[in-house]
Amino acid sequence: MRLLQKTNRAYFLISGTAFIIAGVVFFFVISFFFKDQLNEKLLHDIKNITRSIKRNGTIPNYYPFIDIREVPVQSERSSKIIDTLIFNEFERREILFRQISLIRVINGKEYFIAVRDTLIEEDDLLEVIAIVTGSVFILLLVCLYFINRKLSLKIWQPFYNTLDELKEFSHDKPGFKLSSKSELYEFAELNKTLELLTQKVISDYQSLKRFTEDASHEIQTPLAVIQSKLETLMQYPGLKKEQAELINSAYVYTLRISKLTQTLLLLTKIANDQFPEKSAINISELLSEKTKMFEDHILEKSLTLNNEIKKECILETNFFLAESLIINLIGNAVKHSITGGIINIKLDKKHLEISNPGKPLPIPASKLFDRFYKINKSSDSPGLGLAIVREICRLNKWEINYIYEDNLHKVIVNF
Amino acid sequence: MKILIIEDEKELVKVIKKFLEPEGFLCETASSYFEAEDSLSSYNYDIIILDLTLPGGNGLDLINLIKNTNKKAGLLIVSAKNSLDDKIRGLDMGADDYITKPFHLAELNSRIKSLARRRHFDGANELIFNEIKINTDSNEVFINGNILDLTRKEYEILLYFIVNRNKVITRESIAEHVWGDNISYADNFDFIYSHIKNIRKKIELKNGRNYLHNMYGIGYKFSER
Repeated sequence: MRLLQKTNRAYFLISGTAFIIAGVVFFFVISFFFKDQLNEKLLHDIKNITRSIKRNGTIPNYYPFIDIREVPVQSERSSKIIDTLIFNEFERREILFRQISLIRVINGKEYFIAVRDTLIEEDDLLEVIAIVTGSVFILLLVCLYFINRKLSLKIWQPFYNTLDELKEFSHDKPGFKLSSKSELYEFAELNKTLELLTQKVISDYQSLKRFTEDASHEIQTPLAVIQSKLETLMQYPGLKKEQAELINSAYVYTLRISKLTQTLLLLTKIANDQFPEKSAINISELLSEKTKMFEDHILEKSLTLNNEIKKECILETNFFLAESLIINLIGNAVKHSITGGIINIKLDKKHLEISNPGKPLPIPASKLFDRFYKINKSSDSPGLGLAIVREICRLNKWEINYIYEDNLHKVIVNF
Repeated sequence: MKILIIEDEKELVKVIKKFLEPEGFLCETASSYFEAEDSLSSYNYDIIILDLTLPGGNGLDLINLIKNTNKKAGLLIVSAKNSLDDKIRGLDMGADDYITKPFHLAELNSRIKSLARRRHFDGANELIFNEIKINTDSNEVFINGNILDLTRKEYEILLYFIVNRNKVITRESIAEHVWGDNISYADNFDFIYSHIKNIRKKIELKNGRNYLHNMYGIGYKFSER
């Protein structure tokens, strides 16, 4: 629910309740006040009539408003106030009257005097009040709605600006700054806090990135030393088989760590967009060239290569990354293909599709491109090849998909 | 032949020297930018190995000095892997070749020898090992004077062996040398075995001796035994 909706709803509920209460109070106050006034007027009328009878001796009679008649002596002389219905000939219906009646002795005669006046009927009053308060209520609501809308658009504009800017935020782009300013304390405060937060995120990210880079570099040197020492150790004449195997095992694992740190460093560098140089790369040529590099591997596994490389694929990208992507994808297909299988490589202007036959993935396809996710847990490879591919695609805003159909693992890159 | 090794990691310098000296190279070392400046201004070298990440300055800045003081020297730069810029800039500035760290000693040796061959044309384009003769200009191999028909990769492997004769060469090193380090999917080295098998077979057919010895799963050694 939007904020405006929420406030509007609250306004509606609160003012609605207030108006209903006000209407009820209105009704009672008005009808009380009106009746009170009527009573006063009627009493005043009685006074006038009494005076007139005394002075003139004539008895006025305006039925139903004034009703006077001589009556025998009564004991009861107090005045009575009643509301009564009297038939009106013009309107042809009964109309409610207020009547004050009393017995008065004028000039020695007893008179029954009743003065009446029409009462506003309660449902009429109710109706009028309802119509008035209702229309005021609606008017108020309409005004509120427009004021609110205009105000919130104006007041909240900096907020929405901030929001838009935040959506563009990326932790690997240093120098992020909110440009939207607000005179409102709350939003200024929000922006200040957000700026602090984003700066923290960026600096944390930068230090993590630096750490990864430094760590990889620092690890690389001792590894280079170990590797070369082991290579030197291998040169000693008269090594026994057991010794040679120990050295070899240490050597192989050293190479593995070395490769691993290099790959991690590469991943970090791709993620940090540290390959800014771009040029028009002929993907078709690159693909054909890299495919040739694998011919021994392909031969060894008795694979058949089915190439459909169209000539016109030229992309504006980084050469090293394009090469890396292609090598990883072909290497992956060769490695995971069943012996004697057919590897299909298709390339046109917009798509690269590489497929190899194999059993279905034992892992969820969504994890395939994750770091360190291996299909074969005991495999020597650290499972970073496809993570690199994904990072390269992300950097270039290419779309990468994996599907499995007809016993084929297909990786499709949409440029 | 005189080599200057500009590298700050002393342990690495030690093994490089140990590997290269039996090959007939005279190795001098410089472990910092300033030491390197000093050596370069005082002496002449045939080959210079320059690590670009040096304490006291960027190795790239030394290239100009090398080009001034040691014009004839072959220059091999050593850069970290993945730092493509350094590599490209180094080559642009006049380096003859590059190798990325960490490297195989055999690979370093092969690069240095290749540089040496390019520097000294007087017959150095021929490598001779007993009955085997390799002409590195025409990429031809002769056994007892008869031409040996090898594929490009077989030729590269054989050349790598002969350059590194009497040394144990690991499979990983061969794979990287011939196929590049991107391709060497470490799981399986079968593709190397078949090439080696073919080389042996072809040499045998020309009545050459088998100098290629297996070294307990580590790799191979090309020697008279």
